[in-house]
Amino acid sequence: METVTLTIDGRPVTVEKGRTVLQAAIEAGISVPYYCYHPGISIDGSCRVCIVKIEKMPKLQTSCSTVCTEGMVVSTRDAETVAARAGVFEFLLVNHPLDCPVCDKGGECPLQDFSYTFGPADSRMDFPRRTFDGEGVKADVDFGPTLMLNRNRCILCTRCVRFMKEIDTDAQIGVVDRGCGSEIATFQEHGVHSLLSGNLMDVCPVGAITTRDYRFKSRPWDNPTVVDTTCTLCSKGCSTSAWLKAKPEWAKGSQLIRMTPRFNPDVNGYWMCDIGRFNYHWIESETRLRRPMIRTAAGLEKVGWHDAEPRLRDKIQEAAAADPDAVRFIVSAHAATEELFVLKQMVQGLLGADGLKSVSMAWTRSEKPQPPNAKFKIPAANAPNVNGARDLGFMVGQGNDGPAPDLAELKAAVEAGRVKAVYVLDPGPDGSIGDLSWLVEARRTGKLSLLAVQGVVMTPHAAAADVVLPGYAFVEKDALFTNDQGQVQSASLAIVAPAEAREDCLILAGLARALGLDIAYQTSDEVRRALGGAMPGTAYAGAGTVVFTRPVPAASWLQASNPSERWKWDFMFQDLPPVKGHNVQLEGLAREGAGPNYIPLRQVDK
Amino acid sequence: MEYAPAKFHKSARKLAPAGETFTYSPENQRRFDEIVTRYPPDQRKSAILYALYLAQNQNGGHLTAAAMDHVAEQIRCTSAEVEDVVSYYTMFFTKPVGKYVLNVCRTLSCALLGAERVTEELCAKLGIKPGETDASGTFTLLEVECLGACDRAPVVMVNDDWHERLSPEQAGKFIDDIRAGGAAAFTGCHLHKEKK
Amino acid sequence: MAYEPVLTRHVGDQDAYTLDAYVAKQRGYEGLRKALTQKPGEIIDLVKASGLRGRGGAGFPTGLKWQFVLKDTPKPKYICCNADESEPGTFKDHVLMERNPHLLIEGCAIACYAIGAKVAYIYIRGEFYHVQQVLEAEIEKAYKAGFLGKNIFGSGFDCDVFVHRGAGAYEAGEETALIESLEGKRAQPRIKPPFPAVAGLYQCPTAVNNVETLCNVPLIMMNGPEWFTALGPEKNGGPKLYCISGHVKRPGVYEASMHTTLRELIYGEQFAGGMIDEHPFKAIIPGGSSVPLLLDKDLDTPASFDDVQKAGSLLGSAGLIVLNDTVCMVWLAKNLLYFYRHESCGKCTPCREGGDWLFKLLTRIEQGEGQAKDIDLLFGVASNIAGKTLCAFGDAAATPVLTTLKLFRHEFEAHVREGRCTIPAEWRARQPMLAGHH
Repeated sequence: METVTLTIDGRPVTVEKGRTVLQAAIEAGISVPYYCYHPGISIDGSCRVCIVKIEKMPKLQTSCSTVCTEGMVVSTRDAETVAARAGVFEFLLVNHPLDCPVCDKGGECPLQDFSYTFGPADSRMDFPRRTFDGEGVKADVDFGPTLMLNRNRCILCTRCVRFMKEIDTDAQIGVVDRGCGSEIATFQEHGVHSLLSGNLMDVCPVGAITTRDYRFKSRPWDNPTVVDTTCTLCSKGCSTSAWLKAKPEWAKGSQLIRMTPRFNPDVNGYWMCDIGRFNYHWIESETRLRRPMIRTAAGLEKVGWHDAEPRLRDKIQEAAAADPDAVRFIVSAHAATEELFVLKQMVQGLLGADGLKSVSMAWTRSEKPQPPNAKFKIPAANAPNVNGARDLGFMVGQGNDGPAPDLAELKAAVEAGRVKAVYVLDPGPDGSIGDLSWLVEARRTGKLSLLAVQGVVMTPHAAAADVVLPGYAFVEKDALFTNDQGQVQSASLAIVAPAEAREDCLILAGLARALGLDIAYQTSDEVRRALGGAMPGTAYAGAGTVVFTRPVPAASWLQASNPSERWKWDFMFQDLPPVKGHNVQLEGLAREGAGPNYIPLRQVDK
Repeated sequence: MEYAPAKFHKSARKLAPAGETFTYSPENQRRFDEIVTRYPPDQRKSAILYALYLAQNQNGGHLTAAAMDHVAEQIRCTSAEVEDVVSYYTMFFTKPVGKYVLNVCRTLSCALLGAERVTEELCAKLGIKPGETDASGTFTLLEVECLGACDRAPVVMVNDDWHERLSPEQAGKFIDDIRAGGAAAFTGCHLHKEKK
Repeated sequence: MAYEPVLTRHVGDQDAYTLDAYVAKQRGYEGLRKALTQKPGEIIDLVKASGLRGRGGAGFPTGLKWQFVLKDTPKPKYICCNADESEPGTFKDHVLMERNPHLLIEGCAIACYAIGAKVAYIYIRGEFYHVQQVLEAEIEKAYKAGFLGKNIFGSGFDCDVFVHRGAGAYEAGEETALIESLEGKRAQPRIKPPFPAVAGLYQCPTAVNNVETLCNVPLIMMNGPEWFTALGPEKNGGPKLYCISGHVKRPGVYEASMHTTLRELIYGEQFAGGMIDEHPFKAIIPGGSSVPLLLDKDLDTPASFDDVQKAGSLLGSAGLIVLNDTVCMVWLAKNLLYFYRHESCGKCTPCREGGDWLFKLLTRIEQGEGQAKDIDLLFGVASNIAGKTLCAFGDAAATPVLTTLKLFRHEFEAHVREGRCTIPAEWRARQPMLAGHH
């Protein structure tokens, strides 16, 4: 790597050739404010707050647009720069309403933070502020199905315009009018219709664009912990962060409050799609399976694990007595690699080497409506671990690239009465395993004698099942998933699973033991160690030593993992204790693991 | 994808009228196709101002949402990008204008010689304020910035034509002359010698 | 020795704009013919030797600008002629394009040949529709005569010249904003670097030149750089068009050498012929509304780029706006800030927010409702804009405030003190409504 060395505020800084002064300052931890600059989109140079003094240049220069050269001497702290920057901040606040107490960005707002740090103490502006759609939160207007827009707060950094033009490649947002009357708008107020719309909230440096999902739901100081994890809603496997909101003290605990993208140059860059961002409500919904259930004359009845497991064992053994092939498994590709590994050991232990034949993998596939040249493409396969299943030897057809499995062979066998018992492993959201209505029908007509469902939400097949076993959703367990590029990624435990739900790989291990096999795993760590041992020389060899992230204070999270906004949180949350009532073990881990996992700023191919 | 109730505030922004279905006349289509060849093949967007002039003239002086959609289609960009451009330039209108759009220059050189009074006289004569169209739909009065004819101040641009040295005293008569004789009332640009 | 106009000698002729007249009276297209016998580099050297400086406002040496245009690139190159003449007080390019269009067309062709471009776009402001008609018709004739198009004069050089009509935006006169507008976007400036010479129109190497600048190029080709430099003072050679407007007897475009003083331009019988009415001279804006004012004591300054700069202002686009003592300087600043506020593209923060703020402050002071602190605030806000913006527009917008405050601060103070405008109401013929208000 070719480097250049420059001096910023008297400190020598060495950066890759081609970086700008602003990027160099960020990498060196020198605070320079900025709004129109975003590392994922083109440089605009319009907000003017990143101005710095560079020796031998006549005027102050915008650091976001000035490329570092050898021996350059930059000052961000001299009197001229400080005064000029304060002047620009005064201009930014000339028309920006000071409604921070009712603004959704309040507390995590770069305009707020930087104004405190770099702006003047008072504004000399004594004219009424410009307003567009009313005042306060009433100025929040429709901005498409997922977003709201408040033009009064907009500082016209045009990050949203450039995001739509350059990343989404469908320029739905424009600037209307000019000069001091400029406003952000969509054609005829149609709003933004894009599967990437949520990113507009992330790029907006003020409270102008907010998501309907998160609006008014929480305050940043109420979600002081964040967990780095991986999205599992499609085969892309975006790096994401799960934000936890502290419940009131009397209620204890915490809840999942939003998902945001986390910079990963190899997978998702700075972005994530709306599906991953907004489709998390099922995890803590009313339909969650909380306790094991068995079917009685009165319907499904909540029981303990010590009742459910023997019932399941008896039913399976009964079906397998005449013909071992009469017991089959339908496994969602939402299942983590640990679960697939235990399942593989179980079926091979019961049925011998070709036991995998009794397992049918299932997932769904849908083409996402996106512009043809979109820079961030959402894959069609709606499951995170098809490649994990393939790597373990399960039959996945053409995998992520091919059509979703249709289970026709199994359906025929069920309808012909050759299959008596079906065990469904379905740890994804409702519908993610595909259409199983035929299975429900087969159980209703009695063609099947046993339908067992291990899952997380009350799906139609769970409702029709004889035995229901509650598992963990992806944010409730440490688990490995292999994305469509073959990268083995870890999803981390962020929130505690409800009631008596049990970790999926351990449910399977328990079932295996009940069926007489010697599978003695007590934790998923043990499963991963065995997985690593069983697959030497592959990407899974190190499974036993994967380090999962733990909840960390939001301040260190943002500094560590989002280089574009790293400075933002330096001033916040320093005095807040960890979330009370959150899992004590996790808190311990949080304190140990709180060191920043620094991701170096890298050029992302756009 | 709906994640929240759809009933929120609507924006108070003034929108261009939706307009009736719009497509270029064959003549305008031919002219547009010809102009596009002046630019590199991957730079059709360069022709956007010309395309908008064609649409505006065909549509009787202003642009509708349907016209902007059509231009977007021709240019192969999004309608939002077209509106972005339309709203930036002062010579495109997104509401109906009169047959004669009187653009009175109000910048320094014209103002020194009475442009503000010209505007006032025209306002009084037409009974409208700058930015408005008179009841008959004949005149729209606008104040514009320097037209680049400061030696012939005060200058008025009427549609694409010019009228120079319009003194406040003549302003009322000027309107009468237009009503009587149309474009013959304009002096035109004094440099345009062969016209006289 | 009386100065012989070269750019505008024939503009008064009935047929001045025609190709035939151009060829007959001005040795039309000989410059191009001569240029095509030389190497492009030699032409750039000639223009450099002539010391021709950009006539659009900045006065940057044209030869250097062409030399900077990236040579080793597979990309096409472009000449953009800046005919978006919108600077208040400027109307010289208007005359050249309307009455001497072939001079510009020839200049465009030579410029294309010099930098290795095949296409020149003349970006003309939308309000110049009648000028565009003339220009396009004459370009058509030049094509037919073989002065444009393929294989000009059998030299193998191809050149196209197209007129591109703007649609009402002062900011499109800024070179990168002009390029953005040509690309079909909002006329907003781009961050520099990269300069247009490296990545201009369609991200290709581009030179943006003013109309008057390009019109000088054929003259240099025909008469040589020595002739050109001898026309004016050192480093300010060549003919210059001056646009004189405001309170003078004969406003108009005058061609002169840059030896000519501002006083001669205002009072000279061959120029503007002195002040109108009985009111005396108060101040002059010597280079379009974006430059500082000069006073009577400065009038003996030669109207050259360097001398006017030494006197504390800029020659800019040579738009001289002459003001007599009926002009209230607070009103003047307000009038111009209305312009800058209206024409600000809105891209960068200081200009977008600051321009509006200045206008509101000026309105308040002008209406007699200002306070003493408003005067300091005006200065503070204008200073915060100047030098902090993306393009030179910010400096231009701050200038009317800073210069009037510097030279006529007492008028601002009088407004605040008296609560009204101190210029006698009967002089304020321009504003009967406001006169009644006081």
